[in-house]
Amino acid sequence: MILQLNHLQRNPVTAVAQDVIETFYSLLEEGHLEQAQFAHLRVHLDWIQYRQNFREAVMVTQGRKERAAGLPLLEVHVDTRQVVPGALREEILRTMARATADPAPQADRLALEEFTSFSSSIAWEFNRLYWHRLADWEQATGRSYELALPGGKSEANHPAAVADCVADFWTLLRDLESKQQLPAEIFVLEIGVGMGTRAGLWLDRFRALDQERGTNYCPRLKFILGDYSPATLDRSRSAVQKHLDLCSFVVLDAFNPIKTLSFLRHKVLHVHLTNVYDNLPSEELVRRDGRLYAVQVRSYLPVAEAHRIAQAFALPVGEIARTVSRLLESGPEYFPERSRGVAFWQEVWKALRLEEKLVALEELPDDFLPGGLHVSHLEEILRDAPSDLRFHLSSGALESFRNTLPLLYPRGYLQVQDIFVTDLDEYRLGFHGPGKLDGSIVTWVNGVLLREVGERAGYDVHFAPFHYRKGSRTSILYTTQRE
Amino acid sequence: MSLPILPTTVVGSYSMPGWLERLKTEYFARRISRHDLDEIHDTAVKAAIKDQELAGVDILTDGELRRDNMIDYFVERLPGVQIDRSSKKFYYDFYDSAVRGTLPMAPLGLVDDFRFLRACTDRETKICITGPHSLTKRIRNEFYPSEEAFAMDIARVMNPELKELVKAGARWIQIDEPYYSGFPGDLSWGVKALNALVEEVDAKIAVHICYGNRYGKPSWEGSYRYLFPRILDAKVQQLTLEFARRGGEDMDLFREFACPFELGVGVIDVKTQAVETPELVAERIRKALEVVPVERLFVLPDCGCFHLPRDIAFAKLSAMVEGTRLVRKELGH
Repeated sequence: MILQLNHLQRNPVTAVAQDVIETFYSLLEEGHLEQAQFAHLRVHLDWIQYRQNFREAVMVTQGRKERAAGLPLLEVHVDTRQVVPGALREEILRTMARATADPAPQADRLALEEFTSFSSSIAWEFNRLYWHRLADWEQATGRSYELALPGGKSEANHPAAVADCVADFWTLLRDLESKQQLPAEIFVLEIGVGMGTRAGLWLDRFRALDQERGTNYCPRLKFILGDYSPATLDRSRSAVQKHLDLCSFVVLDAFNPIKTLSFLRHKVLHVHLTNVYDNLPSEELVRRDGRLYAVQVRSYLPVAEAHRIAQAFALPVGEIARTVSRLLESGPEYFPERSRGVAFWQEVWKALRLEEKLVALEELPDDFLPGGLHVSHLEEILRDAPSDLRFHLSSGALESFRNTLPLLYPRGYLQVQDIFVTDLDEYRLGFHGPGKLDGSIVTWVNGVLLREVGERAGYDVHFAPFHYRKGSRTSILYTTQRE
Repeated sequence: MSLPILPTTVVGSYSMPGWLERLKTEYFARRISRHDLDEIHDTAVKAAIKDQELAGVDILTDGELRRDNMIDYFVERLPGVQIDRSSKKFYYDFYDSAVRGTLPMAPLGLVDDFRFLRACTDRETKICITGPHSLTKRIRNEFYPSEEAFAMDIARVMNPELKELVKAGARWIQIDEPYYSGFPGDLSWGVKALNALVEEVDAKIAVHICYGNRYGKPSWEGSYRYLFPRILDAKVQQLTLEFARRGGEDMDLFREFACPFELGVGVIDVKTQAVETPELVAERIRKALEVVPVERLFVLPDCGCFHLPRDIAFAKLSAMVEGTRLVRKELGH
C-alpha cells in the first residue's frame, strides 16, 4: 500500500493518516482485503479547499483488472477536511465494500447519468445553467457571484494589475510604431467579460495614458467584449459607457473564438481572459504504474440527500432524475413557481457528487485528447514527471487557447489570469479541483500542457505570480512569439 | 520539358507528417540512428513528390522534408558556422549557432538532394535555397564587421553550390528571403547579397518573399511597398509573393513600378486549413492577370505547406491546379 499525503500541513492530517493505516491493516487482518490487493492499494489524503465539492469523505476509484496481478485497480481518496473523528473506519469499510461488490449496490446512490468523461457530465450542464441564469441564482442567495470568489472580488479588476497591463500594451504599440509595423486598426479582445468592470478600467487607463503621452492611439482602438452569454454582455455595457465608441459586444464561444472572429485572424494585438479557463469543461488523467488512464465520472445524489430533496419538493424519489433533466433543459421555470425551481436547483447542486472509474487511455477514441496534443507529446511531458500522478487534461482550456492564438497579430499576445498548475510536481502537493464555487465549477488549469500546445503553435508560454494581492493563488499567463 | 501557360509550382515545403515530426524528435533524443533517419527521409520525400504529381503540379520540389526548418539545414552545411547547442526540444526549433571566423569554401551537399529529386520524377523540378539575408538573421555574427559583410560572404560560399546544381541539371532555383519583410531597412544590402549569390548562375532564378510562416503564422505584417523600387535591382527573373492570405492589393505595385519580373502569385493561403475552391483560385489568377501578362505569371501557394496536414495540403494543391485549368481554358488552352 502506498499512502500519498497530498497536503503538507501537519494537523489534522497526521491523525487521519494514522487512522487510515490502522483501518487498512485491520481490513487485511480481518480478511476484507487480500494481501495482493493491499500491496497494490494507493491511498491519497487530500485537503479540499473548496467547501462545496463533489466528493464524499472517502471515495474509491476503480479501474479494470491489472494485467499482471489480475486484481482491480483501486485508489482510495480521503478528504481529510470532511472526515468526522471516529467515523473514518466505518466510512472506509462502507466504501471498500461497495467498491469490491459485483455488481455495485445501487440502493445508496441515486445516479443521474451513466459513467462518462467529466467534460460530458451533467455537472457542466449545471455550470452552464448557472451562467445563463445567474440573476436567478443571485436573487435567491441575495449576493453577487463575485462575493463567492476568494477575497470577495474578482482579481480581474485590481487597479494596479490593470494599469500594468495597459502600460505593457502601450509599450508594445510604441515599439511597433517605431518599426512602422503598427496596424491602422488596433484590436483588443476580452473574453469572458463578467460585469465589464475590467474592460471599463482598462479603457479608462488606456485613454488617460494615451492622452498623457500624446500618442493618439485611442481613435484607432477597437475593443471587443466577447462572452457566450448575451445577458452578461448586456450587463457589461454600463461599465464601459464612457467608451462605447470604441467597443463592440460579441457573443462568442470561449472554446472557439476564431470561429466567430475569423475576420480578425492575425489582427488582434492583445487578448485577455480572467478566470475563464478554470470554468471550462475538463478531464483528469491518472498515470499509474506507467499506464495512462482517463477518469470517468457519474453524477449521483447520496440516497439520504435524494430523500431529503424529494420530501422538500413533494416529489417521488424516482422522479428526481427526470426533474433534474428538465431543470437543466428548461431552467427553473420548469417548476410552476420559479423560486421553487431555483431552490430545487440549488439543493440538487449542493448534494451532487461524482463517483469515478479509471479507463485505460488506449481504450478511448483517438480524439479523446484535445487538438494540438498528441499522445506522444503527453508521454514526452510525463517522462520527467512523478511516476504516479493524477493531473488535469484541461481539455476545454486547451481548446480555447488553441482557437484563440490564430487571432493574434504578429507580436500580439494573449494574457490569462487564472489558477494554473505550472509544474506537474504541484499535483502531489495539494488538491486542484474540481470544486464548486457558488453554482459554478472551478478546476485548476494544467499550465504545463498549455505551454506544450503553445510552443507547438509558435508561442512561448510564461507564468508570473499575481503579486497584486497577498496570498492570491492566481497566476498570469502570457505568450510571446516563438522565434 | 515544355510547360503549359500559367505553370503551377510550390514554394518549397510539403506537409510535414506527424509521424515524421515525431521521428525527427526521436532522432534528436538519440532514440533512432542517423542512418534510419536518412532512410525515413528518402521515403517521405518520395511520397511528397508523388503527392505533388497526383495533384497535377507542373514544377515539383522534394517537399523539403529533410529540413528541420529553413535555416538549420543550411546552418549544418555552411562550413565555419558553429552550432553551440545541438540538442533541441522540437526538431523545428532553431539551433543556437554562430560564426566566429571567415567562412571557408566547401560543398554544401545540396546537389545530392537535387539528384534524388530528379531521379524520382519526370516532371520539371525546382530546388529552394534560403538566402543570405535570412541566414544572417538567425546565425549570430561574432566575426564580420556588419551583417552585410556576413551576408556577402555567405553568398560567396554558396554561389559555387548553385553553379554545381546547374551542372547537375537544375533549371529552376528559388531563393527564399522572407526576412526582408521583417527588416525592410536591410533591403539594399539584402538585394546586393542576393545578386552575389546568383551571379553567373545559369538557371531561372526566383526570389520568394513572404511575411513569414513559422508555425503556420505570419511573423510580420505590412505592405510589399517596401520592396519597391529597390527590388528591381535584383538579378532574378521571378518574384513569388504572398497574396492569398493578404489580399491582392499590393499586386498593383507591379504595374506602378513597371516591374519586369515574372510574378509567382500566391493563390493558396497556407496559414489556414480551409481549402480554397478552384473558382476562388481562378478568381485570384484573373486578378493577377490584370497586372502581369499571362506569359509572366506562375501559380503557387503563398508559402510552403509545411504546417498543413497532408490531406489538406493535397486538397489545396489540387484546388490550385484545378483553378489554374479553369483559367487556361478561358484563355483557350
